[in-house]
Amino acid sequence: MRPRMRGAGGFDRRALLCAGAALGLGALAPVRAASEPIHLRDALGRDVVLPAPAQRIVTIFSSNTELVAALGLMDRIVGVEEYTRFPPEVAGLPKVGGRLGFSVDAVVAQRPDLVIVTPARQAANQLVDPMERIGVPVMVLLSRGLDEVMANVCQVALAAGVGARGAALVQLLQRRLAVVDARVAGRSAPRALMITGRMGNGMLLVARPGTYTNEAMLRAGARHAIPGIGALAQVSPEAALAADPDVLLFAGAQAGLDELTRRPGWRDMRAVRAQRAITVARAEFLIPGPRTFDGIETLARWILRAGQKGWG
Amino acid sequence: MNPSIKLCCRAFAALALAVVLGICAGHQWASPADIWQAITERDTLRGRLLWEWRMPRVLAAACVGALLGLSGAVFQGVFRNPLAEPYLLGASGGAALGATIALLVPLGLPQSWLLPVLAFAGAWGSTLLVLGVARVAGALDASGMLLAGVAMAAMLGAIRSFLMLALSDETVSLQVVMSWVLGGIQTPTWSGLGWLALVTLACLLATQTLARGLDLLGLGDATAQSFGLDVARFVPRAVLLGSLVVAAAVAYGGLVAFVGLAAPHIARWWVGPRHRWVLPASALAGAVVVTIADAMARSVLPPAEVPLGLITAVAGGPFFIVLLARRLRAHGGRA
Repeated sequence: MRPRMRGAGGFDRRALLCAGAALGLGALAPVRAASEPIHLRDALGRDVVLPAPAQRIVTIFSSNTELVAALGLMDRIVGVEEYTRFPPEVAGLPKVGGRLGFSVDAVVAQRPDLVIVTPARQAANQLVDPMERIGVPVMVLLSRGLDEVMANVCQVALAAGVGARGAALVQLLQRRLAVVDARVAGRSAPRALMITGRMGNGMLLVARPGTYTNEAMLRAGARHAIPGIGALAQVSPEAALAADPDVLLFAGAQAGLDELTRRPGWRDMRAVRAQRAITVARAEFLIPGPRTFDGIETLARWILRAGQKGWG
Repeated sequence: MNPSIKLCCRAFAALALAVVLGICAGHQWASPADIWQAITERDTLRGRLLWEWRMPRVLAAACVGALLGLSGAVFQGVFRNPLAEPYLLGASGGAALGATIALLVPLGLPQSWLLPVLAFAGAWGSTLLVLGVARVAGALDASGMLLAGVAMAAMLGAIRSFLMLALSDETVSLQVVMSWVLGGIQTPTWSGLGWLALVTLACLLATQTLARGLDLLGLGDATAQSFGLDVARFVPRAVLLGSLVVAAAVAYGGLVAFVGLAAPHIARWWVGPRHRWVLPASALAGAVVVTIADAMARSVLPPAEVPLGLITAVAGGPFFIVLLARRLRAHGGRA
């Protein structure tokens, strides 16, 4: 079963704008004179008003940086957080925070006209309120599914005054998804478990329903090996072994997967025995952005190839 | 000049200096000229940063420090123990649980007020619970309350750990809770700062009503009773008031370590043992310590901000030990 598109706070209008622009329906795309302010609504339902298209953007987190870069606006980024690595041009940009939080001073020092954040770590807590008070527009983006990732592309494009470019990018991403959908349609979907992290106490973090990571996995032609996993991200190794998935996906380095699958019990897992335990790129499945679509295509190709002899 | 007036002037000068240092400190240091410009004209981004963000934060830090110093003095007076600190009766566990709920549980309410409200409720609520448990158990003396506090802290800590493990994922990170638990000033608006200043002043005045009782309590229960103090009523009242003060501090500053312990000692070295003076002096000492620590938190590792509680513990610990050693030398081994 394919995942259904979801609506969430502030999303419907953006999706409509985005779809309108992507399909070339001018009536749905926002019409704005050059001197008019840009009005947007972000993922928290906040009204974001930009007096003019953003020219100096601070992007907090890799996902938001990648969205701006994918629109060809790398030259407008004036600050990033310390753990943003892609695209390589970010290396020389001023850093406004990292693992220890984000500095209001450092952000303001870049004289931004837009700050894009995601409510992860302390970012929204530390930046939204101060930026609002100081008078710097701040836009919060959420990426709970692929539809929101695409809506975010449009949202950023509209904020930067390149709505048509955003619509074109979304159209391209939708076409790529449609190709994957057509390829996996009618094929038997393997029961897959994607491990996204390991806790010190041995518990596993896995892709769970309601996340873009899980949706990307399903979209690539798999189905969840523990469908009733609920809201908790952590599962015990016992639950993973009991699920005995057809495919084990490990978001991380090969050494980490090897170390895991050498453990007692894991060697006997169906996926491991059949050599269907593979690594997937964290950058593709744990950073919601255009590269997630690369990951879907890569995983879909692998699933189609691996499933040629069936999943038994 | 009268020595106590001289001392008072020095203390306020130290606070004023700390506040100016705090406003100057940051990822980008501001000169006093920048500060003056921010006060007189606020049409630049930097001016707004200093006026809308840094100044209220620094003044809020001073208020939080004052509240911590005040509550520390009350708790050390009530428990007659120089190691007593404001989080003794489970206030930290309750506040941390409240903050964890505000930060991780999607309640659909604005976090900007949910966080201080639940932190306050957790801090004060847990102390009320401790008092309730101690009363039911018939152990409303210091050791009974301490034991009930230990049990309550363990329970609340376990619930918080469960919530953190169950509700954390890649998006809603444990780091948010960790960062709150390690302390950090929540910058209020100017009107919010006005309320915080009023609360601080009210706490200062309210705790003055405890001063005589705390002095008498220091002489022992029997002596205090013989001087007309109803110890059985006074102790829970003082604990409740002290907890209210620390809950107010926690709502704006998270769990800032060490200040509530150190400030009363510094105050006693300044003004002697009488609580009439120890309480305001401890508030002043706490205000100076937290203001300077917050300045360091914002400026030592730019662009990151080091949690305030780490600074107060790491920088304040050795400072406190040095002061203690000097005091011991000066008084022949007695602090």
